[in-house]
Amino acid sequence: MPQAYVQAACQDATVTQELLKEGFHRDLLVKVELGVVGEDAGGCAVAARTHLPPGIYVDPYELASLQQHNLTKAVLIPDVINVEAPEYLATDLLVLLYMEPDPGCSRCFRAALPVHGRYHQPAEESEEALVVLKSPEVLVCCCDNRLSAECWKPTEVEAPCSGKNVSPCQWYSITHKPAYEELILQVPVGLRQHSSLVCVVTLLATVLCSSLILAA
Amino acid sequence: MAAGRPRVGAALGAALLARLGLVLYGLRQDGAMRVRYTDVDYRVFTDAARLVTEGRSPYRRATYRYTPLLAWLLTPNVYLAEVFGKLLFVAGDLAAAVVAYRALRRRGAAAGQACGCCAAAWLFNPLPMAVSSRGNAEALVALLVLATLYFVEGGSVGKAAACYGLAVHMKIYPLTYALPIALHLRSERCGGEGAVDTGCDRKGKFAFVGYLWQLFVKMLNRDVLLFGAVAGSVLAALTVAFYHLYGWEFLEHAYLYHLTRRDIRHNFSPYFYMLYLTAESKWSFALGLAAFLPQLLLLLVPLLLLLLMGLPERTLDQFIPCHVWGYDGPAPSSACHLQTQCDCALVSEEIQARLKTAAVLERLEVSSHLGSWQLSLVLREQVRSPARDIKVCC
Repeated sequence: MPQAYVQAACQDATVTQELLKEGFHRDLLVKVELGVVGEDAGGCAVAARTHLPPGIYVDPYELASLQQHNLTKAVLIPDVINVEAPEYLATDLLVLLYMEPDPGCSRCFRAALPVHGRYHQPAEESEEALVVLKSPEVLVCCCDNRLSAECWKPTEVEAPCSGKNVSPCQWYSITHKPAYEELILQVPVGLRQHSSLVCVVTLLATVLCSSLILAA
Repeated sequence: MAAGRPRVGAALGAALLARLGLVLYGLRQDGAMRVRYTDVDYRVFTDAARLVTEGRSPYRRATYRYTPLLAWLLTPNVYLAEVFGKLLFVAGDLAAAVVAYRALRRRGAAAGQACGCCAAAWLFNPLPMAVSSRGNAEALVALLVLATLYFVEGGSVGKAAACYGLAVHMKIYPLTYALPIALHLRSERCGGEGAVDTGCDRKGKFAFVGYLWQLFVKMLNRDVLLFGAVAGSVLAALTVAFYHLYGWEFLEHAYLYHLTRRDIRHNFSPYFYMLYLTAESKWSFALGLAAFLPQLLLLLVPLLLLLLMGLPERTLDQFIPCHVWGYDGPAPSSACHLQTQCDCALVSEEIQARLKTAAVLERLEVSSHLGSWQLSLVLREQVRSPARDIKVCC
């Protein structure tokens, strides 16, 4: 019984993510509600670690300018990103997004991150490619060891965890992962079977136009 | 003319106010709305300028594919205010209008007409207004190209060549104006430079290569050589200096990228969908070349025709019978002796008008095909003239 109670308590955290706006340029909104688990995490910095597939990316320059205005704080791993590559030439990206307390509810945190879709390769049948965003992981950075070991375990994170205290700070993640939902971004793609028609029409059009110009 | 000056001043003043108004509006929209007024490229320029102030290469900034000169010019964006670059481009815009006005006046246009033309086509045209106030550097290239044309017309070949070298360094496509400018410089010096009077004899067929060589040699007169030498040295000096400073990155991003890029993301290009669909197939290189061909043809075919038709007939006579020229003379030998009095002024006026319109339209980038069209019309003018009145520039 106590075991089930502890497990149930530790599974209290909920993470939701949604994509705002439409088209290739979106805002990823991550909301975390820590619930009972967050009792000991007061005063700790909360962050969400999300793994972005190659089909989507974050513009590091845009992020830098947002950080300058204190609107968003995030760390990108790796921090050098090819912003022009299509999806099949791009790599995965790990984002550590620092969250702010959400005034809407208690022990709630939220953060938004501007993301952009990449161009995908033309498909055979469907006109849309799917980019699957897995649920982010909740991390906290705490500087005094008040966290219960049943719910939180120390984690390695490639970002600094620092606080105002002198005592060493450590990243922790939730031991029992909450149930999650994947988020799917639909990216329009061309149809491969159109390629011969498109080539012929484009070249004909340009040759025709040049001939008209030359004949003028 | 005394009356002309205040009108030009008024037009320039009004255009300046309009552009400044747009810049201010842009600042407001950037802050308040989600969709920014400022061009993405302006952010790229500013970031590159910041890198330059830190002593690093501007090419560390992704998607910076311009000359380092631009980053250097915009360093006050970092030291003073970010809006400095836009003000610089607005100033360049207005300077381009002034140069165009003076060029038109020099050609003999009336003050009112010239002013009206500049005002309508450039000063109050919303497209150049928006382009400069959004932070696009096109106005500077337009200014340089117009200055080149102005100096060429005025006879200062050295200054023209310096402006031209700088323009080509900033953007590659003014290179397409090299041949028309060379032809104009050649035609300026009429009076049978290097003419050899062999009479209209049909004996001996020149090899086509030998004919082309003669054509080439006739092209080169003192002005053309001076122009080529000065423009070439300016371009070479800038390239070497920046290569020394920034290395291979500079060559790759500033020049090579533009020559070899096959961009699958520019949706406004007519070739976008074709290149996107064939991006990873074995045809992509061939298609990239095929896309380049119509523009190349548009430039080369009229030039070729012009070169063929524009030479003294005594050389051409080996290939083209006299009656093609539209002159029915009594006997072949005398009929072939065309009136070679150079009406260069007449021809060059037409060229200048078209070249200027072409330059202006080309700068607007949206109408780059219109620009090529104007350019080909320049050259077709020459081709048509034998039909009306046989005036050939020597």
